[in-house]
Amino acid sequence: MKKKAVAVLLAALMMSGVCTACGQSEERVNEKGESVITVWSPSDEPAIEQWWVDKIEEFNQSHEGEIHLQREAIVRADSYAYEDKINAAITSNDLPDILYVDGPNVSVYAANGITIPLDDFFPDEDWADFLASSKEQNTYDGKIYAVGATESSVALFYNRDMLEEADIRIPESKEDAWTWDEFYEAAKALTKGDVVGTNIIMDKGEGLPYVLEQFWISNGTDFVSEDGSQADGYLNSREGVEAAEFLNSLIQGGYANIDPIQKEFHNEKAATMLGGSWEVSTLEKDYPNLNWGVTYFPVANNGGIPSSPTGDWSASVTKNAQDLEAVREVMNFLFSEDNVTTYAKAISKPPTRVSSYDVLTEYNEYPRSIFREQLMETGHPRPRTPSYSVLSAEFSEAMLNIFTGVDAKQALDEAAAATDKDYNKYYAEE
Amino acid sequence: MQTSVNKKSERKAAYIFVIPAVILLAVFLIYPALQTVRYAFTDYNIMRPDRIKFCGFNNFAELFGDKDFWIAVKNTLHFTVLVVPFQTILALALALLISSRRGGVSIFRAAYFSPQVTSMVVVAILWTVMYNSNPSSGLLNALLVSLGLEPSGFLSDPKTAMNSIIFMSAWQGAGYQMMIFLAGLQGIPKEQYEAASIDGAGRFKSFLYVTLPGLKNVIQYVVMITVIQAMKLFTQPYVMTKGGPQNATRTLVYYVYEQGFQKRNFGYACAVAAVFFVIVISLSMGMKKIIKAE
Repeated sequence: MKKKAVAVLLAALMMSGVCTACGQSEERVNEKGESVITVWSPSDEPAIEQWWVDKIEEFNQSHEGEIHLQREAIVRADSYAYEDKINAAITSNDLPDILYVDGPNVSVYAANGITIPLDDFFPDEDWADFLASSKEQNTYDGKIYAVGATESSVALFYNRDMLEEADIRIPESKEDAWTWDEFYEAAKALTKGDVVGTNIIMDKGEGLPYVLEQFWISNGTDFVSEDGSQADGYLNSREGVEAAEFLNSLIQGGYANIDPIQKEFHNEKAATMLGGSWEVSTLEKDYPNLNWGVTYFPVANNGGIPSSPTGDWSASVTKNAQDLEAVREVMNFLFSEDNVTTYAKAISKPPTRVSSYDVLTEYNEYPRSIFREQLMETGHPRPRTPSYSVLSAEFSEAMLNIFTGVDAKQALDEAAAATDKDYNKYYAEE
Repeated sequence: MQTSVNKKSERKAAYIFVIPAVILLAVFLIYPALQTVRYAFTDYNIMRPDRIKFCGFNNFAELFGDKDFWIAVKNTLHFTVLVVPFQTILALALALLISSRRGGVSIFRAAYFSPQVTSMVVVAILWTVMYNSNPSSGLLNALLVSLGLEPSGFLSDPKTAMNSIIFMSAWQGAGYQMMIFLAGLQGIPKEQYEAASIDGAGRFKSFLYVTLPGLKNVIQYVVMITVIQAMKLFTQPYVMTKGGPQNATRTLVYYVYEQGFQKRNFGYACAVAAVFFVIVISLSMGMKKIIKAE
């Protein structure tokens, strides 16, 4: 009797094993015989969602009977939710053909063979039209693994009324950007009642390393070594600890909130903020009465290196893609001159193709010119290391720990050790 | 003769009825559980499913020296030890309040139960806003300040973060246990209360000697499921604190998620999950034993 039950159970177990194994060989062709190409990208503002709808329709109409393009919008939720979804797809071997990934993650996926090189996906004259900063972020081990339509940058937004009232100098050129001391003094002077001097926390996920890495670079160090193999001695170097302590002084002084409310600057609860290039259009559209301006990213004291963040989401092709010819066709469509321009316009971010700036002339004028100038002259991509996911999570945690009272050196030591441990465990021998 | 044929066909029918459940259990519970144990002995990185190497007891050896793992154990126990009595007493109090009323019972019942129907993610986001450390945006701090008290860091202070989560979780979860208590209260015969009052027992005494003994089995059940639920705490730290600040809300399940998905150490995460499984099983077996011994 018992034996039978065990036999049934075992049979069921084996069946389940078979079921999980058969999930992957499915062919990506629909009933019309069209090759189905799926794109995953984070869900976005209405304008960009509409861009996708229009462009997919346009593409599918012109490729009827050959290729069917579809997109799945995945919620990112200011967190690591999108990466979680990708991780799950990697385990089940069920990745889409085209996968949008955030700049620094390009090397993570490339190093693990999840995505494939795209060097021969575009003719050389096309590659030459893409910005160097974007190509640099998307290169791993000498090959390009992703292509993006837009770039990003972060600069210092300020409330003009509050600055004028406090009689604070507004930098006119890149050369006289605020030093950390000036930034600190300004934040201190601008903190009044329920208004804080500045906002340095974009979100508590990737936003922290994205914005705050510049303080390390400006102070003469970085998160990891040039080749991405070591964090110890960089992230937790003397200069790095100084950077963390400087940021912490803003929080401890009460000049910046550790839990800022949504749109703190927009609602005049923060006098300045380190904000992304995309905020320009939000402020123009939704806050027409706010008297704001934007200036260069602050620079470390005593001749620090001018630096600003770059990098944006870009498209890569996964190892699960079957019909590479069709994927190439889609990629050439999505990143054509015209579509890069319309995409950048819809998402209000600087385009990655040099030729797009001829059309998007607003980038020649203030305030958008600030971001263009930073991109071309002071931009630094995030670290290109296969251990970036660990580094990013560890850095965010370390900063939040420092802001709530842990010693900066100790917190950064731990983050550096955890990052190096991951690198040595999985990637060091290769 | 006739009966044995009947029994045989009945048995056959029984097997057929059981098969769907067995298949579902096998596919979604037993197979993944066995796989978890298998992966716990490998260096599986989620990014490289094609390069899995067996590594013996390495993961377990690392685990016992892992400071963060022990903090997660401590936090999980902290949560369980406080939330279980708090939530159970709150649920019992609500149930008693409701059952002593004549009118409006269904309104109160629905009101107390409503947080339970709301998704935990939604509740957690709402409470994150209410707990905001800044009095100009956090409702609770605005309240404290208007009462002339010092604002609290709540979720951003390592000393208060876990207790803030405990309070909010008990508020959210008590409605469910309250329903079970209500059903239990209805099962206590009215005569016992009458007899007690004839013997001169007041409200408190009849609660102590009639209600509580009458609810004994219900209380045992409620405590048991609350403990098991509490051990699995994940959503609140995931949504509200990301395990921080300073590890104050990193629970075992959150640690499994963090290691497995964020840091992609899938093998290591499986080892943590396996240990977690052992802890939960031994805890519930221990509780069962204590209950039986009584």
